[in-house]
Amino acid sequence: MIQTTNVTTNHPRALRALRVTCAATFITAALLAVGCGSVNTTYTRTTPADSAVSAQTRVNDLFQQFFLTAKEVRMNRTKGGPMEVQIDVENNGFSYKTFSYRFDWVDTAGNVIASQLSVWKVSNVPSGGSTVIRAVAPSDDATDFRLQLRQSES
Amino acid sequence: MRTRSIIVLLPIALLAPIACERARYVDTGSPEGIITVGNVDMQDILKASSGMLESLAETGVLKTAKNKPAQLVMGEIVNDTSSRFDVGEMTYRMREQLVNTGQAAVVTTFGNTPEDKQAQEVLRREKFLKGETSEPLPDPDFSLTGKITQVKRSAGDTKQVTYTFRLTLTNLRSGLEVWTKTVDMTKLGNKNAVGF
Repeated sequence: MIQTTNVTTNHPRALRALRVTCAATFITAALLAVGCGSVNTTYTRTTPADSAVSAQTRVNDLFQQFFLTAKEVRMNRTKGGPMEVQIDVENNGFSYKTFSYRFDWVDTAGNVIASQLSVWKVSNVPSGGSTVIRAVAPSDDATDFRLQLRQSES
Repeated sequence: MRTRSIIVLLPIALLAPIACERARYVDTGSPEGIITVGNVDMQDILKASSGMLESLAETGVLKTAKNKPAQLVMGEIVNDTSSRFDVGEMTYRMREQLVNTGQAAVVTTFGNTPEDKQAQEVLRREKFLKGETSEPLPDPDFSLTGKITQVKRSAGDTKQVTYTFRLTLTNLRSGLEVWTKTVDMTKLGNKNAVGF
């Protein structure tokens, strides 16, 4: 339990003690916030994957971008022929995050390929953790994709 | 008197827009839609059909068929949940994707209970008039069967339901299962909600 007290003083030692108490309280609160449901992640790969591709993001929700980060984007051709994309999404925030995402696939001309595969899906990622969202293209013609990601409550 | 009226009416005026939400269009399957704990929602159906189609595409199982495109028979897909919905909501979406993109052709004139009985009659009549007595014209490669199940649990007022959609593709020449996929959806809560 965190207790706060209002103290008015001009004494330097009391003032210093107050500052230390405030700092300790803040650090404890921050650690508790991070500790609840946070995950520790261990991985061996320290460099980008061979199939990693560069991507750009247009940020409209800065808050979301700060906490939910698309870390690495990988594209491969599947055994069946169509492209597959995998994106590592990291949660750098202090709480469990739920987000919705949708992939739209585009052909070489840049036109969106209408398909029943482009639907909104929901995923969760714990604080400090990461998840992989993936999608498979509807046909062999799809060469690129667009991802829409939004923070969600459900 | 006037002040008292303002005090009474002001909270009502402020809460009125929250209490009554006007009807509006949302994208089908959008996260803004209604989410229920005890029923299969449209979002779940779309996610299931999308997951199945992705799996079919990535394994390339339909490309292994003798016929090009693969000929598919829609078998029985049982809804074994307490939620009432038409399984066709999922299967027709899958068919649309597979048939319209040329990945598969659905045989609607096969078996004793064909989807299109009239077409089957016409086909049989033409074969009879030509004097053909061999195997029927449609020669499907695969049949698609499946089941949708649920596991319900609760703790106090909180309910949790997992809906599992499972489909199986059987090679009709070998009788072997050549593809299978499960898509799970778990929902937790104590009341239905409008998505965000």
